Amino acid sequence: MKTKLIALAAGILGAIVSLQSAAHHSFAAEFDGNVSVHVTGTVIKVDWTNPHTYIFVEVENDEGDYEEWAFEMGSPNGLMRRGWTRNTLEIGTEVIVTGTRARDGSFKGNVQTVVIADTCQRLFAGTSQRDFDEGSAAKEDCEL
Amino acid sequence: MKLNPLFKMAVMASAVASAVFMHSAAQAQRGASEDRPSTPTPRLADGTVDLGGDGVWSLPWITNFAVRMDGYQEGDLPPMLPWTQAMWEYNKNNNVKYDPEGFCLPPGGPRSMGTPYPAEIIQDGDRIVIIFEGGGHVWREIHMDGRPHPEDPNPTYFGHSTGYWEGDTLIVDTVGFNEKTWIDFGGYMHTDQLHTVERFSRPDKETLHYEAVIDDPGAYSEPWTVSWNIRWSEGQELADYICQENNKFLLDMTDDFGQPFFDKTAGL
Repeated sequence: MKTKLIALAAGILGAIVSLQSAAHHSFAAEFDGNVSVHVTGTVIKVDWTNPHTYIFVEVENDEGDYEEWAFEMGSPNGLMRRGWTRNTLEIGTEVIVTGTRARDGSFKGNVQTVVIADTCQRLFAGTSQRDFDEGSAAKEDCEL
Repeated sequence: MKLNPLFKMAVMASAVASAVFMHSAAQAQRGASEDRPSTPTPRLADGTVDLGGDGVWSLPWITNFAVRMDGYQEGDLPPMLPWTQAMWEYNKNNNVKYDPEGFCLPPGGPRSMGTPYPAEIIQDGDRIVIIFEGGGHVWREIHMDGRPHPEDPNPTYFGHSTGYWEGDTLIVDTVGFNEKTWIDFGGYMHTDQLHTVERFSRPDKETLHYEAVIDDPGAYSEPWTVSWNIRWSEGQELADYICQENNKFLLDMTDDFGQPFFDKTAGL
């Protein structure tokens, strides 16, 4: 039991450094930390690449039109070390995404949280922003 | 009571996450003695400190090298020359948009030890090779055979490194840097006069103590020293990191006037 706990702790401590793995470029150069984004939509594509994983989400807006959002996450290396695989987010999955918007105002954001709508499971996003409350227990209507 | 290990991991992770995020410097300072078990320094058969093993060094993210100076107090800056100071302010004001690392170029110099992806140190007879996951899957070579630096080294991202052991400390002397890198993520510049002296030691198995003297009369009025601790991650491995494969940030980059940074070309 003791060895297991130490191994668990070592794994977490090793993984913690990867929390800061969004170092490729400056977040603030591309995204505005003051403009928040909160959408619900369907995953239509995943770019499982370096330097950043991108998830593309189709969102129906209030007018009934569809917007295609591109969301930047951390390096797949950091995500893998926290349990992701390239198949974790399947096409067609409904997700709730919060983040901050690109400075150019396009349908692009940097992710703070990704939540699977059906299960309210919160996934690690690997970005340099705060809100690492991933793994928290599911709440009613996936309250964030 | 048996707790779901994932839940346990999540609770522990979130409990420390905000503290870790707040100051990567603080994390780098924590040694094995504070809150983790420590085991003796591993050694090779001839008694030399073993800087490797079955694992990787989990390099921290050092976003501002000034914070890593000995005796740092809030607001302290490296001893920059006026042009270096002006460049640093320019870089800061555009959110370090033109950081060479954003172009997937390697973090030559001490920054390579402060780019937050794992690395391994491989001792191979009369040379030591450090392989980095971050900065785009790069490596540097340290010659341990007593050779001098070339008279006129070809400027490179990682420079020309020679090293020797002083007791249990590996001392590495490097010259011959090009000017295509930054000292750090925050935008301190350097010239090709940069000369670094790095010290690597492993006080216990879990800790690599790293220290670097930054000596560049072309950019700083005097040498300045930074240091941090790096944590060993037993059992972990390096992964691919081919930064160039999907660098969207670069493709969308605009210049200081809001124009596309790269000329669009057609059909090349």
